[in-house]
Order: sequence, then structure tokens, then C-alpha cells
Amino acid sequence: MDPANTPLGRMLLDEISPVVMVLTTPLVDEACQKNGLSFIEMLSPFCVFNNIDVPVRTASDQPYRLQKFKLRLFYASDIRQPDLQVTKERLKEVITKAGEEESLNLHLDAPQPDDLLSRSESEVLPSWFKFFNKELIRTLSFSDHEAFDHPVVCLLVVSSKDDQPVNRFVDLFNTDQLPSLLNDGAMDPKIHKLYLLLHDNQDAPPEKATKFLSEMKSTFGANALQLLCINSSRDGLVEHLENPWTLYKSDALSTHSLGRFLNKDDVNEIKDLTQDLASKHVIPSMEEKVRVLNQQVSATRKGFRNQIKNLWWRKGKEESLDASNGPTYTFSSTESQIRVLGDYAFMLRDYELALSNYRLISTDYKLDKAWKRYAGVQEMMGVTYFMLNHSRKEAEYCMENAFNTYLKNVPAGHQNATRCGLWWIEMLKARDQYKEAASVYFHISGEESLHSAVMLEQASYCYLYSKPPMLRKYGFHLVLSGNQYKKCDQIKHAIRTYQRAISVFKGTTWSYIKDHVHFHVGQWYAFLGLYDAAVVHMLEVLMCAHQSKTTQELFLKNFLHFVQKAGKACEVLKLPLPIINASSLKVVFEDHRTYASPAAIGVRESLWRSFEEEVIPSLPTARTNWLEVQSKPISRKRKESNVCIVGEAIQVDVEFKNPLQISIPLTNVSLICELFERSDEAQTDASTSSELQNNEHINLTAERLMNFDKSSFALSDVDCTLESGSTTMVKLTVTPREEGILNIVGVKWRLSGSVVGCYNFLTTTMKKTATRKKKQKRSFTDNLKFEVIKSLPKLEGLIHTLPEKVYAGELRHLTLELSNMSEAAVKNLKMKISHPRFLNIGKAEHLKVKYPTCLEKRTDGEQTGSLAQPIEGSDSVFHFPNDIVVRKDSPLSWPLWFHAAVPGNISLYIVLYYEIEDAESFMKYRTLRMFYNLEVLPAIDVSFQISPLPSTLQKFLVRMDVASRTSLEDFQIHQLSSLGSQWEISLIDTLFHPPLLMSAQAFTCFLMLKRCEKPKGSDEVSSLTPCIGGDVKLSPNDDGESLYDISLSPLSDFHNCERLHQEKPSQGDSDTVDFVLISRRVHSESGSGVSYSPCLLSNHACHCSISSSSPISWAVEGPREIHHNFSASFCEVSLRMTLYNSSDAVASLRVNTLDSNQSGFLLSDSSAVLPTNQEGWYNVSLESEIKVTSDVRGTILNSLSSESIRPIIWSGSSSTKLQLEPSSTVQIPLQVCIFCPGTYDLSNYVVQWNLQWPIDQGNEETRPNSGTCPGYPYYITVLPSS
Amino acid sequence: MATTACFIIVSRNDIPIYEAEVGSTVKREDAAHLHQFILHAAQDIVQDLAWTTSAMFLKAIDRFNDLVVSVYVTAGHTRFMLLHDSRNDDGIKSFFQEVHELYIKTLLNPLYLPGSRITSSHFDTKVRALARKYL
Repeated sequence: MDPANTPLGRMLLDEISPVVMVLTTPLVDEACQKNGLSFIEMLSPFCVFNNIDVPVRTASDQPYRLQKFKLRLFYASDIRQPDLQVTKERLKEVITKAGEEESLNLHLDAPQPDDLLSRSESEVLPSWFKFFNKELIRTLSFSDHEAFDHPVVCLLVVSSKDDQPVNRFVDLFNTDQLPSLLNDGAMDPKIHKLYLLLHDNQDAPPEKATKFLSEMKSTFGANALQLLCINSSRDGLVEHLENPWTLYKSDALSTHSLGRFLNKDDVNEIKDLTQDLASKHVIPSMEEKVRVLNQQVSATRKGFRNQIKNLWWRKGKEESLDASNGPTYTFSSTESQIRVLGDYAFMLRDYELALSNYRLISTDYKLDKAWKRYAGVQEMMGVTYFMLNHSRKEAEYCMENAFNTYLKNVPAGHQNATRCGLWWIEMLKARDQYKEAASVYFHISGEESLHSAVMLEQASYCYLYSKPPMLRKYGFHLVLSGNQYKKCDQIKHAIRTYQRAISVFKGTTWSYIKDHVHFHVGQWYAFLGLYDAAVVHMLEVLMCAHQSKTTQELFLKNFLHFVQKAGKACEVLKLPLPIINASSLKVVFEDHRTYASPAAIGVRESLWRSFEEEVIPSLPTARTNWLEVQSKPISRKRKESNVCIVGEAIQVDVEFKNPLQISIPLTNVSLICELFERSDEAQTDASTSSELQNNEHINLTAERLMNFDKSSFALSDVDCTLESGSTTMVKLTVTPREEGILNIVGVKWRLSGSVVGCYNFLTTTMKKTATRKKKQKRSFTDNLKFEVIKSLPKLEGLIHTLPEKVYAGELRHLTLELSNMSEAAVKNLKMKISHPRFLNIGKAEHLKVKYPTCLEKRTDGEQTGSLAQPIEGSDSVFHFPNDIVVRKDSPLSWPLWFHAAVPGNISLYIVLYYEIEDAESFMKYRTLRMFYNLEVLPAIDVSFQISPLPSTLQKFLVRMDVASRTSLEDFQIHQLSSLGSQWEISLIDTLFHPPLLMSAQAFTCFLMLKRCEKPKGSDEVSSLTPCIGGDVKLSPNDDGESLYDISLSPLSDFHNCERLHQEKPSQGDSDTVDFVLISRRVHSESGSGVSYSPCLLSNHACHCSISSSSPISWAVEGPREIHHNFSASFCEVSLRMTLYNSSDAVASLRVNTLDSNQSGFLLSDSSAVLPTNQEGWYNVSLESEIKVTSDVRGTILNSLSSESIRPIIWSGSSSTKLQLEPSSTVQIPLQVCIFCPGTYDLSNYVVQWNLQWPIDQGNEETRPNSGTCPGYPYYITVLPSS
Repeated sequence: MATTACFIIVSRNDIPIYEAEVGSTVKREDAAHLHQFILHAAQDIVQDLAWTTSAMFLKAIDRFNDLVVSVYVTAGHTRFMLLHDSRNDDGIKSFFQEVHELYIKTLLNPLYLPGSRITSSHFDTKVRALARKYL
């Protein structure tokens, strides 16, 4: 690689070249201005020599030839440090102009990084980068610490029109007008001079000029004087094929007019002049100077002695130094001379010589702490190393050293550092070290925003071109740069950089990055008035759940603002806010299935299906069979899509989610639909399928749909506000008004009243495997496609006064009302209820009855005629009478009975089937699905405990525990009824009345259950028919209310259901009894939430077993009170024991009478233990608790038992053994002898039983096989008869 | 404790799966994106460096002004990146090692899908406690 051909090499050869100072008179410029050029501009194109071929001999004796050479011409007035401010202004102008050009490309997509990489660097980088860098470097020209800007030759130009040109030459080189640098000693004022006489051929013939020339030659010498004739063309119409001046004229207004008076001869003359200038004046004078200086330097500094001396001298000087700037060096100082020598050698391409001198001087400057000069020399060393193309490391080290020294040790050295950095960067780039170059760019970016913006942008491209490409760094620096552009109002540049950054960050999940970039680009576009583009970018940042609330507000506000500014009723497709949960999409439509309430829709389809199975006719018969040809083709087609009916709404539930922390208002949320005539179907099918293949088409479709003829269907409009972070289910409906094919395409909404967003169901759901609850086989799109058929009658059903909360046991009278809105009538109504235990269908005549009085027992004994007939099955279908037809203006009312059987939440499903009278309609029948959810609160708990009364076999003691389970209501117990033919119930104490059942209280009462004598031949009579004595009134007094007849329709129906539900296995019919407790709520102003109505509560307790734990029961009968004259003899009492075997097996019994000590207590007072009618039940256990009254008369228990004199003994057989058939009784005699008066308990006997099961029934472990029962207490009082 | 510190875990496919500002200064709204930018850009360097060494802790690999990026690369090429302004190599190394342990525990969770966002609040509190301890 030739360093001279690298960008840096070319730049250096360009910039570090000899300077020619030009001094002109005003008339010279005037002559040149005719061509639109200044004198320097006129000469400049010809100061670059590509093949000058001049031999050069510097310090060494070996000459070499220079091929390329360049001269720089400057007016003397320009030879000073350029004004920084002016330069900045100029740079800004350039950038702004570049920005204007850029605006043409703003709308285009930024090129992708891969794209950029495939193109060459020069193509991608904006051209003004180079210019910008060059200008930056030029701001440092003519600095005092460098020598390559020192003018080598002074060119004095005088016009031939000037009077006394000779004097003018002298005047021109007046020290007053010379640059300050020459005067203050930084530059050597002794410059080789060259005199030029400019002659304008338009003003006078050239003869005049030659006359002057000859005059002057005598004064200045022949070599130093030249003549230049210009403007030879008189008409000024010279056309230059390649106008050489355009490159040098920065603000080329009319490039073609440049040099119009200069013909070919003039141009050639100028060429000769500059060539002459270079080869005969500039180079030789430089050569000479180099040689002279070299000799001087060798004399003073080279060699060991000089170095020692130099060091010594510098050390001595050290104390007096000004620390900050170092010493000032004039052109005559040795240091300056070495520097000049180095620079001249560099310009003459004698790099070895230059390097040795730079090395020499750099140590000196370092010792002197002249940091700026030191850095300058280091910089030149680096460059020289580079040009020598060896020792990369050295070169980079020098550059880095210079760079850091400028930055750290030189006050205001930033400009210098920038130039140094730019050179360094070029050096790195030349060696493909882009990454390092980028970091240098970053370092020279500095504070000034425009400057840093350009530098950062260049840095970003360095990252792009580094190997491997560092795209993320590229993006980051583009953003940094864009930020800086924005700071100095270069919006277009900012957008350009950000656009490119976006191409890097596309699809990133780094949320803050994405938001930042898009938000800013959006804002800037808006700033430029390009609102459409702004909106596109703002769309990207709307989903910013991770941002703070204020940021979210800002984003949304800006977005809405831009949308408004963008004009037009902006239809933004794919608005990301709010999020639509596509999987939550739910379509509710009514074909032959109709729903009474939204709650009914929520029930699983399979559940409804199972209910409907019995109601609807089976499918093949309802649909077409193969004989019905005319309807077949249609129905097949219809099978593919859902069916809906004109005038009936299809509801779509869409879930909107707001991820932001701010609430967003949505208005005009509605569906997007399309409705085609049936003839269009085939065509649209084809078109939709093709549309699904590419998204663009779908967008088009959506737009088309926005403008779809809306007369054929009605859409609902919903407004809602989505709270922060909430999910809202929106119910949208579409009601078709015409027959045809209805497609639900999507949903649209208006965000915050300004932006319309829409969402296409088809596109998003196509990708997923669409499964919906109703039809798994069908794809999702099919579910959004409907066949609209002509209107059909539709029943609407409602159950009046069905409460939401009831107390358990409540019995209510309800009315089902069915109304038909359409003209056509419906017939053949059928109904099915899921829980007949809770809801019962009444009879037509029940509709008008007064409840609850209708249930009262008629005192006149006349039956109301609605004796309950046992229903066939609990889940059978109720057929309404055939003559019932529901027409438009005649709604049907039908009574229903509701009984809250058990506490808890109850879901009632009711399916109503009806057929459409119009036989031609597509659908023969429809079903109405009703669903109610009720809460049943616990109210009264009732439990029964039945134990056989010891005394008799036919009577049973019933203990009824009634507890109130609610704390809010009071109940009045009204009546207890027993069901079953053979039972009769009565209160034990007829005066006892259970109190008002207060909340959360309980009471117990005892009743007597008596088995009626079964009349002969009445076995087949159903047990449900109650006998007369089945009811007991429990209400406190005669308040006029009569008993309720539980055999009447609703009560008995419900009782049957209860029986079915409470059924226990292996219960013999005769051993159980059913009770119905009827009570009523006492009206109170409680807050239970249960509406009060005068209704009854009925509690059913079925299958209460009357059998005790033992299968054997018995009763001892005999006298209770005996008067006997003990003086005569002891008393002998005969007793009779009746034994009953209630089991199914033969029992072998053994009755043992015992005369042991433990039994046979004498009780002092018989009345104390007699059962009373006291409230409460106590399990009287004689062993543990003996009631002794205060007036003890006679003996004490303990003493008596210890005496072991028993006044009573069993006589007769002490053990009786017998066999007892199942369900049979037997009597055995017992005898007891009593010796003294008193009250005795005859419980000291034991009944042992042993069951002999038939073989096939045996081995049932649940049943006891044998047991022993102690005797019941039987009290006998014997009184002396005297 | 460092005044500014931003800790981020980047999955192997360059998706940030955990982010936490763990500096002692109050979180500034505009700093969040800058931190992301710096860390995002630093990945260019990580991808080169990760293959040059067998150590998991790559030390400070990048800097932006006075903010330094330290990186720790796990065997599965999940990158823990810490942007900080204090120089405390040992502390950072310990921090990374402990977080690595936490991260492995998270990975062991059968309900955690590797490469998905770490939402565990337990992880978050632990990381913040470690940051207070070491940084």
C-alpha cells in the first residue's frame, strides 16, 4: 500500500504544501472579476501539478525527483488564524444545505445495515462529511506552532493599468499590510519575492504591458518579474469544456460564466506561470532553505557535545519558565528553525530528514514543557511515520500522544486535538482499524453540538464498517448523533440518523430503546409537519406498559395530537391500543337454540344438549331425509356455516385489555361486518380465500368494509372506558336485516374520540388452530360466517317473581310467561326442568289461585279435585296442552311451583321446545333455554327420632328437634303431618304448643305416633294417601288458620321428589314414616335480602325409621297400682310380656328374670320419676341418677340395698325360651311376688335374642345376629289395702 | 454503593429478560433509555470478547463517558450486564457470581421457560440485596 494514495496521504499532500503569499492591487482584482473570479481563484486550478518532474536535492547529496506537487495561494490578508466563528457559521450553512437535500429522501425507508455494507463507503457516507472535516482542519491553518503554513514565496501582482507599477510593487510589500504573523516574529519575514504584472487585453493591447515590463526588469531583475495577459477573448463567450474553476468556487452561482473572457491562450499562459512559479521559485527556495538550516542545525545540535550542552542549557533555563505556555520561540530560535527544517523537508517529501528533525525538536519541547508545540511535533512525527509506511506502532503512539497532550495539557487545544484526531482516524481507517477510529471520533466529538453530531455520525459509520460490523454500536451512535443534531435544530439530519438507527433496532425487545427512537422520530416528523409519518412512528410507542404514568400520558397525548393534525378522520389500521384478546372471542347467536337470558348463554352447550335430548325430535327426522329433494342442497350448504335469523342479534364478546396505567376512553366500539346476497356467495368465498393469503389485501378489505352498505344490518355502538390495567369484556351485536351471508370481519373502535382503530379477526386467528367451544371441527372463520335466513317466531320466556334468595323449604307460586314477538304462531310446546325437586309445573287452573290459602284443608270435606297423581318419572317432559298456541298479542302464562328443597346454590335449567306453525320455514322447531341461579339460605332444620314406646307396640315416641339456622328470621311452626296410611300422629300433651321459633334457636317436642289398624284389603292402597289423623296443628292457638292439606298438588309432588332424593337403601316400607313440617316466616324488617312473601315453608323428612336398634321389641303389661293386705299374704302379681320380632328372620328368644342385688330398687316417691309433659327430654338413667325428694319417707336406698333382703322376687319360670317368626308377636306370662308395699321397678330381666337368617341372605355384617337387651323400667306400686 | 448502576440480564437471543436499576440515586426517567442504549451497544463487544476467554467474568469491557459496562457470560451465553460508575472489580465479580447462582436456581424451576422474562419477585429482591451488599 502506498501511503500517498490513501485518503490520509492525499489529504496530507493537499494540506501540507508550500504556501505562496499573494499581494495584489485593487485593479488586478477588478480585471479578474470580469471572469467572476478572484486572482487566486483564477490561478488555483493550475497550482496542482501531477507530473511536475522536478529534481530536488535537500540535505543529502542524492537528488530525487518530485512528481506531484501543489502550491497553496493565499492573500496576505488571509494569512492569519481563521476566525473560528466564521468557520462555524460556514459549516452550519453547509450542513443545513445538506439537510435540505436530505429532505427529499425523508419519506423513503432508511437503508438496511446489510444494504449499506454491500455498498462502498464513499457511496454511503454523505459527501459533506469530507468537506466538513477539511474545513475543520483548515481552521487550524497558520497557527504559530507549525511551520508548513509559512509562506515560502511572496507573489506581488500589479495591473498594467496601475500608474507607476514599479512604485506599486514597492508599496505592496509594505510591512503595514503584511500579516501579523510575519511581523511578530513567528514567521521569517525574509521571503523570496516574485513580481507579476497583470495585463488585461481588453483595456489595452499587450504592447503597453511589454513596455512596462521592460521598464521594470531593470528594477527587479529579469527572473523575478513575469507578465500575465488575461481576458484575451473580447466577446466573453468562451466555453470551457471542463470548467476548471467550478471545484474552487464554493458558491457557484453560474458556473458556466466562470472564466468567460479567458481563452485558450490565457489559460496556457496561466499554466506556464504557475509551473514556473513552482519549479523555478518555490522549490529552489525551499531547497536552499533546507540546506542552510540543516547546516545550522548540524552545527548547533548534532553531535554528542551539542546535546550535552543543550541539555545543560535547558535545565538552567527551567526555573524561569512560564509553566503554562512554555517559552515563546521566534523564527530565529534554534527550535523554530528545526521545526521549519522539518516541515520544509516534509513538504519536499524528504520524510527521513523531516522525521529526524521532528525527533530532535520534540525532546526539546518536552523538556521546555511547551506542550502545544510538543504535541504539534508529535503529530507530525506520527504523520511522517505513516508516510514512510513503516512502524505502525510508532505512528499510532505518536498520534495518541499528540492527541492526549492537546487535550490535557494545552489550553483550548480542542481544535488541535480535532485535527490530530481526524488525521489519526484516517490513519486507522487506512489500516482497517475502524473500531479504534470510531472511538477517536467519539473522543473528538466535544461539547459543541453540531460538531459532535457530525463526529458521532461518522463514528457510527466506522462501527458499521468495522469487521465484523458492530451494528448495535452503530445504532447507538446514530442515536447519539441524532440527539445532537436535534440540539442544534438540524431536524432533518436528526430524522435521517434516527431512521437509520430504527433499521438497526427493528424488532428489538429493548423496550426503552424502541420507545425512545420511535417517539423522537415521530415528534420530529410532526415538527416538520409530516404528520402521517409521525403517526406511524407514534403507533409503535403506544404499547408502553413499562413506562411511567406520565410518559404514557405524554405518548398518548402526542399521538392523539398528531392524528388530529394529520387531518382526515384517521382510520388507523392495527391500532395496538387496547389489546384485543383474540382467544377470548365468543360468538353468541341463536339458530334453533334461543336463550332467555345472558346467563343462559354462559351454560355449557353440552349441558343444554343433554337436557334437550328428550325434548327435541331426533335429528334425521327433523332435518331432511333423502326424499325431500327440494331442501337438500340448501341444507348442505347451510351445514357449513352457522345459521342466524333476520332481526335476531348475533352477539360477539370481545375482550379489551388496557395495559397502560392511564384509563383510555373508547367510543363507538362496533363490529365490522359484511352481508352478501346469496348469489354473491360463491364469488366472495373465492375472494376471501385469496385475501387471506396476503395481508395487504386484508387491509384493503377492511377499508372496503368500513364503507360497506350498512343498511342491511344494524350494529350496536358501545362506549366504554378502560381503566388502567383492566380487562373489559365488551358485548357487541349485529342484527341482520336481510337474508344472505353475513360475515363478521372484525371490530373497530374510536380511541379517545379521535382515532379509529380496527382489528381483523380473520387475519389474527387464522394462524392459530382455532378452537371454539361450540364446534371443534369447524375453523374459526366459519364461526364468524353466518347464513341469514328469513325471520322466524321466537319465544321469549320469563319466570315472574322468581326470587334470587330464598330460605330452604320455602314454597312459592310462580308464573312462567311466554311471549311471541313475531306474527307467526308457535305450537306444540314442551318443557323440561332440570330439577323437579325445586321447580314443578303446575296445572293451568293453578294460575289464578290464591296462595297459600289454596292449600288449606277444606273443612267441608270436599276435595278440590287436584289430588296429586304420582308423576311417572322425575325427569320426564311436560307437554303443554295441544291446543295452546302462542301468538303475537297473547302471551302464555303458566303456573310453576317452586320449593327450595335444600340450602345452597341451585342452578335451574329449563328447556322449552316449540314448533313453528309455518311449515315452510327452514327450521321446524326452536328451543328456548332458560337458566336461573338461586341461592337457598338455610332456614329450619328438623330431625326426627323415633323410638318405640316401651309400653305398647303400636305407639312410638317421636322426638322432633327443630332448629333455626338463620339469625335473621323468625319462624312460626304451623303443622306437622305424617304421611302414610297407617300412621296417626298426635301431641303427647295436647296443650303444648311449640313457641315461635326465634332466630338461631331450637326446641324439641315429643309426639306420639300411632300405628293404625290396617284395614283388611287396603294393602294395595298407596302409602301416599294419608289417613285422617295424619296432621297435627302446632300453631299456638286458634287463629283461624286451618291445616294445610299436604295431599294437594304441589306439596305432594314435592314430597314425592323428596322421597326419591332421601331414599335410603334397604328400608322396609312399613318401618318408615314421612313427616312434613309446615311453617311460615314471621314478617320482620330484617336485612336478610330475602324478599318477603306470605308463603309456606315445608320441610320434608322422609323414611324416618321407626325401628329401634334391636329387632326385638317387647312390652310388659300388667297392673300399675295394687292394693294388697300384706298382713294376710305376700302379693302375687301376674304380668304379660308381648314380644315382637321386627326382623325378616326367625328369632329364638330367651327371657331371663334376675333376682340379683343390683336391680329392683325401691323408690321413695313414685311421682318423681313419672314422665311428665315438661319441656325437654332427659334420658332418664336410673343407675346414675336417682331423684330423691326432700320429704324422704321411709328408707334410704343404700341401707336397703346392703340389707340384701329383697322384698320382691320373680316367681314362675325364671327362663323362657321360644321361637318367633318374622313380623309376629307372642305373649308370655310373667309373675312376681312382692312382700312389702312400695314402688318397684321391674326391669331386672334380660331378653336375649338370636336371629336365624335364611342361608341365602346371611353373612350381612351390618345386621346384628344376636344380642342381649336389659329390661325396660316397669313401675308397680303396691299399697297396703288397710 | 454505586450512585448509578443498572443491571440487566440478556438471554442468548439478545432479549432482556430481567432489568433492575440498582443505583442509589433516584431513578431518572430519561436515564432508563440511555442505560439500555449503552448496554445494548456493549453487546457488540461482548460477542467478540466472550470467545476469547474461558473466564465468565469479562471485567469492564466498554465505557460511555464515566459509565462502565461489566459483563459476565454464563455457559449458556446468558449475559449479565452491569452498568456502573464505580470501580470495584472484586465486588462486581462477587455480585455476578451470586446472581449467577440465583439465576441457576431460577432455571431449575420447572415452570420457568429458559429465555423468558424473569418475573419472580423473590429473584428481584435477592438481586437488589446483593447489589446493596457488593456494589
